[in-house]
Amino acid sequence: MKYTWKIGGEAGFGILTTGTLFARFVAQLGYHVFDYIEYPSLIRGGHNAYEIVFSDKKVRAFKSTVDCLICLNKETFDLHKHRLTKDSVVIYDPKDFTPDKGSVLCGVPFREILQKLQGQSVMKNTIAMGASLAVLGADLSLFISMLEKQFGAKGQKVVDINKTFAAEGYEYARKQFQNKTVSLIKTELSTQLVMTGNDAFSLASIIADCRFYSAYPMTPSSTVLTTLAGWQEKTGIVVRHAEDEISVINSALGASFGGVRASVGTSGGGFSLMVESLSFAGVAELPIVVFLAQRQGPATGLPTWTSQGDLLFAVHAGHGEFMKIILAPGDVEEMLELTTKAYNLSDIYQTPVIVLSDMLLSEAHETVSKQFVDDLNACYKLDRGKTVDKPTHLPYVRYKPESDGISERLLPGADGSYYQANSYEHKADSHTTESAEDTLEQVGKRHQKIQTYLANHFDPPTVYGDLDKSEAVLVSHGSNKRIILETIQELEKEGRSVTYIHFTHLYPLDEKKIKPLFENVKRYILVEQDLNAQFGKLLRMETGVHIAEQILRFDGRPITVEQIIAHINEKKAMSGVVEKLQKLQ
Amino acid sequence: MSKIDDFDGYTPTWCPGCGDWGIGIAIKSALIKSNLTPSKAMIIFGIGCSGNMNDFLNAYAMHSLHGRSLPNAIGAKIAQHSATVLVIVGDGDCYGEGGNHFIHACRGNHDMTVVVHDNGVYGLTTGQVAPTADKGYKSKSTPSGIIEVPINPLALAISQGATFVAQGFAGDINHATTLIQRAMEHKGFSLVNILQPCVTFNKVNTYQYYLSRVYKLGEDHSPTDKRAALEKAMEAEIEKFPLGVLYQKSRPVFTDSIPQLASTTLLQKSRFTRIDELLADFV
Repeated sequence: MKYTWKIGGEAGFGILTTGTLFARFVAQLGYHVFDYIEYPSLIRGGHNAYEIVFSDKKVRAFKSTVDCLICLNKETFDLHKHRLTKDSVVIYDPKDFTPDKGSVLCGVPFREILQKLQGQSVMKNTIAMGASLAVLGADLSLFISMLEKQFGAKGQKVVDINKTFAAEGYEYARKQFQNKTVSLIKTELSTQLVMTGNDAFSLASIIADCRFYSAYPMTPSSTVLTTLAGWQEKTGIVVRHAEDEISVINSALGASFGGVRASVGTSGGGFSLMVESLSFAGVAELPIVVFLAQRQGPATGLPTWTSQGDLLFAVHAGHGEFMKIILAPGDVEEMLELTTKAYNLSDIYQTPVIVLSDMLLSEAHETVSKQFVDDLNACYKLDRGKTVDKPTHLPYVRYKPESDGISERLLPGADGSYYQANSYEHKADSHTTESAEDTLEQVGKRHQKIQTYLANHFDPPTVYGDLDKSEAVLVSHGSNKRIILETIQELEKEGRSVTYIHFTHLYPLDEKKIKPLFENVKRYILVEQDLNAQFGKLLRMETGVHIAEQILRFDGRPITVEQIIAHINEKKAMSGVVEKLQKLQ
Repeated sequence: MSKIDDFDGYTPTWCPGCGDWGIGIAIKSALIKSNLTPSKAMIIFGIGCSGNMNDFLNAYAMHSLHGRSLPNAIGAKIAQHSATVLVIVGDGDCYGEGGNHFIHACRGNHDMTVVVHDNGVYGLTTGQVAPTADKGYKSKSTPSGIIEVPINPLALAISQGATFVAQGFAGDINHATTLIQRAMEHKGFSLVNILQPCVTFNKVNTYQYYLSRVYKLGEDHSPTDKRAALEKAMEAEIEKFPLGVLYQKSRPVFTDSIPQLASTTLLQKSRFTRIDELLADFV
């Protein structure tokens, strides 16, 4: 079973809240959930839609059809009717419009109910939600208890209003609409948590004992700032909403110098402001984790749409040459794992670690079992590398050359010692230098850390499938993972075999561990959410592996299963939006 | 008690006669009078001739990027709010490149002492005009004279929420020492703007220029009177430079307003492990 529920209406009328509530509702019943929000960068006005797909099996991507479409206005129907089948249910207000397409129609007089109960127009959502629960044959009482939790803090009155409207919608639809399509009942599955990639980054930061987070709001990273800010008093983390992204990263570097784990979050524009300071972290060897949630640029670009177009920018971010590590999770579970690892790596290698996300990963909800989080938390070993609060040798030498490139890092405050975190090139004792000899020593020391990392902490890509048996091999990173794995499942139904090579440790790359995966005579196909096949370029630059065939998309919309299958079937070198671009030329 | 030698790093590379020598001695003297050792202070240096003091003054230090010392200091203070934090910067550094940070650091009343070397020029890059230079000042980057009027750091600090605002003169080391010491004693964001001749590049604002225009604030000036303080700060427009504490006010500092730092520093507090309590947000 795989079911798509979608609600749409005018922005600013609670679509997001309603959608999140529905996602948590089905997750409580034990279903796996995946969702996607379409919204323009406006507080009010414009079209908002929230799509949720749920299944009794792991679900990672959408399907082409919508099973239940809730239209809070006519525009919703017009924009999404092409995805309806004859069995799809359309919930709408007959006073607004009459659907012109043959589906199962469920008219609910939203406005009449609003007038009768003297509600504000934002309550339309709640009526519609109630109606859809009736259509789905769900139990209203569980939903009511969720409303109590959701709105409890706002007082009993708000809870009661929501209950009344939900019940009204539910009853109306139940009477009108007895032939329910599915029966949403509790499954046998264990408790599922519903979270976005941003939620996962926030949670993993606390698991990893991050004590300072700083940010300036920027879509699609902002909910990390608000989530962690909300957890301050409970967890003790200090969250600073600074005046700009330059202050964001520099206050985090100050906190890191002061000895606590620190991180920052932003999107491309804010990251642009941070890069000089990233270079400071590199030379002064200050640990820092940077959460970079990509949206489509350049400049202000498409603020609320997805992209992977900042990959090479992240790789090259910062002037001068210094070590940085880039990790790219592909789903919520990987976000939890890799974020906790990122904090360890930044302490061990005393250098910036970038956790690369994108709008789709950052903002879409996904289910993850509570057991997974519990296990991760129980098994996580906090590793601060060579960080000490007392020097092991006196006099203390901050940047002492070592064979692994990593010097002991003393936390400021230890009596009898002192040193500088110096943005200038420096001697081993941290004093500024311009000597060629000192420079070579320190440049070499820092560079050695890359070899140490590749030997000890670099993870080669994960191969999903059997390279020898498959007709094609898809190569990608980030949230494309979910879409690609779904594609593979679809093709398996036809008895076809396609493999996926999924990269998470994007930079630096280890040629020795990667090259053997590309030695088969196969169709290798890059799948990327950018114009220039940036990961392909990175792979070629770091390993010499060249992949000619590419599926690229750069219009802000996520790559789809259908798009990938069409490409594989049609056997052409380029597909996706690239074709459209070529036609224009 | 510590000695001046304890703080001595490398021999300074400043030009003979540079005001930085005097300010350097004033800072070290103030650190000693405040009973600090190099291990007890966190000092954040900017980039410029003033910032080069990083190699001449021992402490747990960051030699920051140009303009970014204040946010570095804010983060370091949040991590270890029991430590004394000193920021040593120049006028171009703090009021030009880092101007936005300066305004917001005043607002936050972050508990730190900011010593600004105010000489009207960018000495390290051979004398281009700084935001504190008088209108019309001719430099290599403004050969016809600077079009902008000078920034007024004292008025800016007072109006944006700094709680200790003082001005010193590099030609009066004892007085500057006392101001820096009082600034460190003050709990809150403390600005000590120190007027300082650049003997190599600034031929206008010389020792003689300042000696005829500075004067010490008398008993009649009340530092708690914000309006009076602003009036004193505005005297820069008629080329009069009051020395002393223009403004002082008590207001809760940033870290005191963070409940999770009430009983211990962020660095010392025990790790949060009750992850289950957070998971309720995702059910």
